[in-house]
Amino acid sequence: MKPRVLFVALAILSVLVAACAGPAPQASQPAKPLRVAVIMPSATTDYAFSQSMWSALKKVQEEMGGESKMELKYSENMFKVPDAAAAIRDYASQGFDIVIAHGSQYVASAGEIAKDFPNVTFVWGTDVKTFDLPNVYAYTPAAEEGGYVQGVMAAMMTKNGLIGITGPVEVGDAKAYVNGFEQGVKAVNPNIKINKTWTGSFSDVALMTEAAKTHIAAGADVLTGSSQSAVGSINAAKEKGDVLWFGLQSDQAPLAPKNVVSCVVYDWAPMLKEVIAARQAGQPGGKVFVLRLKDGGLKVVMNPEVAVPAEVKKAAEEAVEGIQNGTIKVTP
Amino acid sequence: MDDILSVAALVGILTSAVRLATPYLYAAIGEAFGQLSGVVNLGVDGIMLVGAFMAIFVALGTGSLWLGVLVAIVAGLLMGLLMSVISVTLKAEQGISGIGLYMFGLGLSSLLFKVLFGTVKTIVGFQPVKIPILGDIPIIGPVLFQQSVLVYGAFLLVPLAWWILEKTTWGLRIKAVGQNPAAADSLGVNVNRVRYASVCLGSALAGLAGASLSLAMVNLFQENLTAGMGFIAVALVYFGSWRPAGILFGALLFSTVNALQLWMQVLGVKIPADAAVMLPYLLTIVVLALTVSRVRGPAALNRPFERGEA
Amino acid sequence: MAIPKPRNNSGADATAQRRIQRIEMCDIVKRFPGVLANDRVCFDVKAGEVHALLGENGAGKSTLMRQLFGLYKPDEGEILIDGQRVEFNSPADAIRAGIGMIHQHFMLVPTLTVTQNVALGLKSSREPLTDLDVVAKRVRQLSEEYGLKVDPDAYIWQLSVGEQQRVEILKALYRNASMIILDEPTAVLTPQEVKDLFATLRRMVQEGHGLVFISHKLYEVLAISDRVTVLRDGRVIGTRETKDVTRDELARMMVGREVKRLRAQPQQAGEPLLQIRALRAMGDRGTEALRGIDLEVRSGEIVGIAGVSGNGQRELAECLGGLRKATAGTILVAGKDLTHASVQQRLQAGLAYIPEERMRDGAIKEFSVLENMFLLDHASPKYTHGIFLDFRRMREHAAALVKEYTVKTPSLETPIKNLSGGNIQKTIMARELSREPRVLVAAQPSRGIDIGATEYIHQRLLEQRASGQAILLISEDLDEVQALSDRIAVMYEGRIVGIVGRGQATAEQLGLMMAGVPMEEAMGAAPTAPTAEQPIEVSSVV
Repeated sequence: MKPRVLFVALAILSVLVAACAGPAPQASQPAKPLRVAVIMPSATTDYAFSQSMWSALKKVQEEMGGESKMELKYSENMFKVPDAAAAIRDYASQGFDIVIAHGSQYVASAGEIAKDFPNVTFVWGTDVKTFDLPNVYAYTPAAEEGGYVQGVMAAMMTKNGLIGITGPVEVGDAKAYVNGFEQGVKAVNPNIKINKTWTGSFSDVALMTEAAKTHIAAGADVLTGSSQSAVGSINAAKEKGDVLWFGLQSDQAPLAPKNVVSCVVYDWAPMLKEVIAARQAGQPGGKVFVLRLKDGGLKVVMNPEVAVPAEVKKAAEEAVEGIQNGTIKVTP
Repeated sequence: MDDILSVAALVGILTSAVRLATPYLYAAIGEAFGQLSGVVNLGVDGIMLVGAFMAIFVALGTGSLWLGVLVAIVAGLLMGLLMSVISVTLKAEQGISGIGLYMFGLGLSSLLFKVLFGTVKTIVGFQPVKIPILGDIPIIGPVLFQQSVLVYGAFLLVPLAWWILEKTTWGLRIKAVGQNPAAADSLGVNVNRVRYASVCLGSALAGLAGASLSLAMVNLFQENLTAGMGFIAVALVYFGSWRPAGILFGALLFSTVNALQLWMQVLGVKIPADAAVMLPYLLTIVVLALTVSRVRGPAALNRPFERGEA
Repeated sequence: MAIPKPRNNSGADATAQRRIQRIEMCDIVKRFPGVLANDRVCFDVKAGEVHALLGENGAGKSTLMRQLFGLYKPDEGEILIDGQRVEFNSPADAIRAGIGMIHQHFMLVPTLTVTQNVALGLKSSREPLTDLDVVAKRVRQLSEEYGLKVDPDAYIWQLSVGEQQRVEILKALYRNASMIILDEPTAVLTPQEVKDLFATLRRMVQEGHGLVFISHKLYEVLAISDRVTVLRDGRVIGTRETKDVTRDELARMMVGREVKRLRAQPQQAGEPLLQIRALRAMGDRGTEALRGIDLEVRSGEIVGIAGVSGNGQRELAECLGGLRKATAGTILVAGKDLTHASVQQRLQAGLAYIPEERMRDGAIKEFSVLENMFLLDHASPKYTHGIFLDFRRMREHAAALVKEYTVKTPSLETPIKNLSGGNIQKTIMARELSREPRVLVAAQPSRGIDIGATEYIHQRLLEQRASGQAILLISEDLDEVQALSDRIAVMYEGRIVGIVGRGQATAEQLGLMMAGVPMEEAMGAAPTAPTAEQPIEVSSVV
């Protein structure tokens, strides 16, 4: 039947389009490279969660000596967990050495799959469970630490005494970050008002934009938030002009150079390098990594284009130090 | 709690609601045209994505927002043509071809985004235009008459669509073809031509919906920017019983409650965020359940037309 | 040939510009996969006449006319209008040429008004806007002119079937159709509505229209037509002037052999075997479909249920067959209460049921003739060894039934769906009657079945009656009910509005009752005196 043929053609076309969106196929290498695959919930260019992992992997690949030493494959936009689970299983059965499930929503399915492939190292996050499996590493950022530092700066920079938080869903690092941020603000000035919204979605840019506009309409002059839909908030701040933004997960300064004060950036590279070294040393798993300011997994990156008063900078540095040496305790 | 009753909050909520309703209005009214003629197009979200991307891409490239809008409409039209060929001429199952079209749109917009943009790009979109005199009316002014051109367009589309459906011969044909294509055919109405036109018009409006999202609302593009808005638009068509006024009511209800729940969160009304987020959907279901619709949908929805079949 | 009259038409929507004097269809051949639907058919119709097209279901009447209306294209042959060869690619072409068609299934959009339905597809005088007021005005004019009473502003779904048909005719007239094809126009009408329709048709003929009247009912053809062409198996058997032809001759042409006329003597009815008391049940749409039915059927008696479709007949049959739950009242079979009995219990009590939807409720499409014969008795010890079926025995029994009931089937293994409607019905009857039931409920037993099989089924019902069964015959075909029933109960809106004995009421009086007129009033309306009890003459060809 004709309709069927056309439908199939369309389906194939869609798949091709999707496939083209993936990385170019890599030439076979003489020496057997380390094979690493990563599954991500959003795009590698999301200025947030997925991009942070992708940049780290690229960095590690470069340090190891390029594609001949480390083969890197990815599946992005896996916002549906069953699709992600299928991808994880595919990579594992294709003989990849390390499979990274980058999204707390994948952990349950990855746990099932890890049992079936004892020779593959599974790295998943953000979570603190390895289910006692010998071939699993888990990782989680202590986002609250970065949140605290930015909260301190935000409290000192708001003129209206009103700060807006535009969150996606109240779970994981988004929640921890917000909690840390609030503690930071309150440490400076308990009278500053914080308004919070959650959109219920990591990807609904339109609603996130509207949430940010709502905060601005209510009088907030400093905003923060996370997830790939945060670009909506950032753009709302940019359009308003005099609203400041504190970012999370990735350096968002290029999006709004006049508004982004600083960003808490996850640097997964040290963790990844440790995992690779441990695997090569015969330890395929069994550890939980927590990314902290102390060990460089978490960084607060300032945007040089926004003028930050010296005393604010100083307070931020003190906060970082305090957290690193344990004098400041932040709860997630 | 008192804050939410203040004039400022009210204006804020309603302004947000009108803005949020815009892409839904374009997309849902477009979808209604297709459905009234008997074709369900589930590819709206995909078309919106392509429209949203093409709009911002062309606008950034040429510096003309209007050219961006035009290209988005044309892109939507072309995707509508594809949908028509598959579901009208080749008579493929509409639900499946619509989902195919959605995936195609999602993939195509992502691919183009990667190749042509590589990263999230923002644009200075359509700015609010204050309408003289009307814009100065308290409350109503800022809510209805200090919006961007594309917002006005969406709201003007409602009476226009009603007028087309109720007052023109073309509207009469669309409804007849969707209810009883054999009857329309027996009176010399070219059933497939009417369906092509309706689906293409609907898809062009979906393209415009995408443009209104990327050029007048969020003013940026990101992969999967719509996050399923097109599917909500399809649901709104059913909610509104295939009538432009019903769709307007549904879109406004949905967006008002969405804006309201954001304000409630901002103003610290003590309800859990998860419950607040559910509110628009919950209310939509409640309204649907309460207004037991006596209006039946197009009888020939989802059924390709074959002459001579009893 | 007459000079074509210029057509006077008002409005910008004129389609046909002149009246057609004659249409000829010559050597038309139309094939469908596996079927030769029209085999070198020649047919013509002239202005000012009703030309009836008579034939059984599947004889090729509708197919022929659909080609004239541009819905199908002939494989061979040609169509001439006033001597000019024409080719229609779509109904639009046919309409433009001045041809109209009233389909058996109405071509109306239920959610639109009468006026909108008429205006559909026409060019408006105010393009792109509609000119519904102009159309409505002309519709009023036409309906007055032709006696087609209908409210132009009403929605189609609000109209009765008869009114809907009037809209169809108005549609054709509005388009200045001079030749109008009517496909089985009486099938859905009450006797009164048929009368009105015939009056309209006569007026149309007077006005110079040519009409093609498709039917399989002999008496209607004799009543309305000037000429009649009989089709059988896709071929023309002959064309006659109606005044020169008898009913018997037409029946013979239609069936291809002499049609028997049965004579049944009235007989004394025995004790009541089926008793229905104050029976109530809900319909599919949640409204009450049966609102207190009281009825008795005695041994050796056929009670016919007459009524317009949708007045509770289907629900009554389903209640009796155990397919629908009664909400109140009782059903007694031979004194035994079966109101809430299972289907199995009903069968054991001696109730047999021939359902209206024979393919849905009476047979399993994919199963063979043999399997369908044993749907009910497969567990009977007669046909089992332990848990196994005794196929040899079953085959013997089935073969005997196929022979007895003259079921035409290639083999016992043929899936029943491949049989004709008549043969499927015979199979179901064979199954039900071979159980020797005491009460038989037959719902629409001859609907959609050819004359030959109908004749057989009627004969069989009379034999069952003679053997002392109680038979409840539910039929929308008033002629069938009148021909077979000892008593006729008329149903209207879920109630029985009256019960009359054989020959006590005319078709018109029954028709009034079917339209809801109380019995006393209906019986008083027509002056016809009730005829005395007389031997009924049953003919399958009615």
